[in-house]
Amino acid sequence: MKQDLLNVAVIIKLEPDFSEGNVSYNSDGTLNRAETKNILGPHSAVACNAAFYCKVRYGAHVSVGTMGPPIAESALKQAQILSDAEELNLYSDRMFAGADTLATAEVLKNGVEKMFGGNKSDIVFSGHRASDGETGQTGPQTAWKLGYTFLGNVIDFEIDLDRKAVVAKRMISLQGMDTIIEEIESPLPVFITIDPSYKSNFNTVSQRLTANNFGKEARKHSESSGQYLKVYDGKKLELDPRMVGLPGSPTIVYKVEKIPRAKANRKAEIVDPSNPDNLAQVTEKITEISRG
Amino acid sequence: MEQFDVAIIGGGSAGLSALKKLSDLNKSAILIEAGNGIGTKNVSGGILYSKNDSQGKIYNVEDVFGSDFSANAPVERLIKRYLLHATSKNKIFTIDMTRLHDYKTNFAYSVLLNRLTPWFAELATESAERHGGGIVTGVHVSDIQWIDNKTIVSTNELEEFEVKSIIAADGINSEVAQITSARGKFTPEEVYFGVKVIIKLPEKIIEERFHLDSSEGSAHLFAGDVTLNHIGGGFLYTNRETLSLGAVYHYNSLLSNPVTPTQLIDELIKNPLISEYIKDEVTLRNGNDGLSKEDQLKIHLGVSKLLKTYNELRDKYFSSNNTKLVESGKFKNLDEVKSKIDSIKHDLNEKFGIQFVNNYVELEYSAKLIPDGKRCMMKRPYFKNILFIGDAAGRGIFIGPKIEGLNVGIDDAVRASIAISRSIESNNFDSDYLGNYYESLVNESPYTREMNSIDENYLNLFLESVEDIPMGVIDPSLSFGLQFIKNKFLRGICLRLANSFGSRRVLPLIESEKTYVQIPIRLANKLGDTVHSTFVPSIPTLADRIANLQYDDDSESHIIVNNKKSEFMRKLILLCPTKCYSLEGNDVVLQHEGCVECGSCSIGTIWKHPKGEKGIKYRYG
Repeated sequence: MKQDLLNVAVIIKLEPDFSEGNVSYNSDGTLNRAETKNILGPHSAVACNAAFYCKVRYGAHVSVGTMGPPIAESALKQAQILSDAEELNLYSDRMFAGADTLATAEVLKNGVEKMFGGNKSDIVFSGHRASDGETGQTGPQTAWKLGYTFLGNVIDFEIDLDRKAVVAKRMISLQGMDTIIEEIESPLPVFITIDPSYKSNFNTVSQRLTANNFGKEARKHSESSGQYLKVYDGKKLELDPRMVGLPGSPTIVYKVEKIPRAKANRKAEIVDPSNPDNLAQVTEKITEISRG
Repeated sequence: MEQFDVAIIGGGSAGLSALKKLSDLNKSAILIEAGNGIGTKNVSGGILYSKNDSQGKIYNVEDVFGSDFSANAPVERLIKRYLLHATSKNKIFTIDMTRLHDYKTNFAYSVLLNRLTPWFAELATESAERHGGGIVTGVHVSDIQWIDNKTIVSTNELEEFEVKSIIAADGINSEVAQITSARGKFTPEEVYFGVKVIIKLPEKIIEERFHLDSSEGSAHLFAGDVTLNHIGGGFLYTNRETLSLGAVYHYNSLLSNPVTPTQLIDELIKNPLISEYIKDEVTLRNGNDGLSKEDQLKIHLGVSKLLKTYNELRDKYFSSNNTKLVESGKFKNLDEVKSKIDSIKHDLNEKFGIQFVNNYVELEYSAKLIPDGKRCMMKRPYFKNILFIGDAAGRGIFIGPKIEGLNVGIDDAVRASIAISRSIESNNFDSDYLGNYYESLVNESPYTREMNSIDENYLNLFLESVEDIPMGVIDPSLSFGLQFIKNKFLRGICLRLANSFGSRRVLPLIESEKTYVQIPIRLANKLGDTVHSTFVPSIPTLADRIANLQYDDDSESHIIVNNKKSEFMRKLILLCPTKCYSLEGNDVVLQHEGCVECGSCSIGTIWKHPKGEKGIKYRYG
């Protein structure tokens, strides 16, 4: 296998664990973040799987980065188990607090540029969205800031190492239209947000055995994840304080509203089943509808 | 096309033993398992034996996985007591069969396969990787073909690959056997059907209730009215922090008197002795029907977290390493842990109306077919360059209270590995060379002898175990028989006669409703003690049991019914453990979602395992 031909970056997020028994709520019904367990976000985990695929198939060098408080180190450790990353990067500074997606993208862009000893990354993976944010903007905005070709909703991909290109399948779902799978080719570098339906396609016995070996190595490496970790503050990332945190965030949360219940597009009538006369009405209705 | 010396199909205890042994013989082998991870498709009753025999070598688990097996393996409890309980309503008569259990036994552990087989896999992988082999999971073998002297294996998931030999360790419903026509499907006459539930019970409570020292366990068999008039019985094995409670019946007996498998389990649970064994203090949630949905959700989420903390702390408190709670510095002493538990309990009750009642907790429902070796073991356990081992070869021991399968599969695995290793060294995989040699090795196994003939010493021990029972209580015809064989000279003649006929023919005569149902009921009624249960267990419905299982359902069914109107398929409406069959008009129709892949319908269907990673995922096994 060819070694270290590709530099693959993954940006991930520490998110609340919404599974039953792990969530705490304040008395007003809002999330109690301090009491709620945090985990590597499920979409970030899929991005790590994609990086792992690059490692097994193409001998890629993997670096994972995240912006967050010091406890986000635990997400990096979990990401290492999935991706067998050689580098773990935590971008942590009080000045990053209150960041919206754009300010986050600014931090991540500088973070990605510092990976691989300052060498350029060939592919950057991120999750489709975060389970506690849902806007799905950080990925595309980071891609834009990096100046990379952006490929969203990617469900499968192969790399052509000789031509330095990626062939990716994207799943496009638009309201009122059939879901289509688009196959596109792009020269590297690219920024890929990976679809939650992505599954690594190891299709020979040898590939599976290699994946097993790397998986085992990853678990071993993660036991001493601290020695792979680099922590960057705003200064180390050479960030302009005006571009990050609250000052760098143009988004203003004006008001939070509950999602209105969608209007039912079907009409329903409640019929008492104990009365046989009512059932006759049901038959009548069905006959009427079936006649068109 | 990729090439390998050996492919082992099936990652149960036998297949993994073969991988370990072959690797230790410096041979390269790969193991292909359809389940999503090792252990997810494995179910056993739950006792793994290590045996000895003066007349022949037995290859035991410690021979394969190391002499420190007992110290390192994630086994449950060392079985020290083996009791048979005859039941009739609330009357129980107990016979101590520990001496029978100890006969030729080095040790026996209760096991849960989803804990044990991943450990086997770890050790096997470590050895296999040294020779370029290993384990591939989530891959379902769909075909094997012989083209131009090459053996080509096809799967649903991977590119085809070539092998020189195969070990079929794919269980009682072996697809390899069907693909190659190496043997027919086992008939209901040849197999037993087992259904089991895993019950949660804290470690210290198990030890106190069953009078056990730490890490020691007991096994309990049940016969009598709990069988609902079937040939077979119930079992209860103590695990570390769970109990395995199951029912095993001759499949023919179930077909002639069909009941739902859940009824067989429920009948055991309702028995007062068993319900007292499984009893625990459990929480009962109140409905919050009067509240808004939002408030209900808030309470639900609040309670969930508190309940989780309560249960985790209680389990730790009742575990053997409960001192860790103190060592961690969180608590000053165990009394403080106890007061913390009581305080959470108080909060749960006061703030959320949670009640604490006597009941029991089921963790997992499972089902499996079990080969009765004396009836169905393959006489020639090979086909071309494929060797069959364990359940796939129909090899298991079923003689009265003696039920052994895992150890037989491990012994077979070593013999198959030795035969293949020899073939690799001489590069000869002809069936005359490989298959014949394997057959001769299997025939040398003391287990094969046990499946073929009755062991006089074992029979003696059995008679000694029951000698104190007044014969007048037992059925007159059987009483005569017992008196007859109590005479050593006559017993010798009987045994020689029986063994010349073959136990394959003789033993099934003893396996009757009389021995499994009527006599135990008489014993319990006449000699039994009265046992009272202090609560009525609320037994989950089948729907609840299925909802508690984990599946990755395949959109395509892995089963096709041959004849929708057959009498056999009609019986499956009752007998399928997860009610996959129902009647639509005159046709029996299948809904494969929820199938636990036991194979009880196999003889009336085209039956395959689901594709890789699909289907049932057992967490205990």
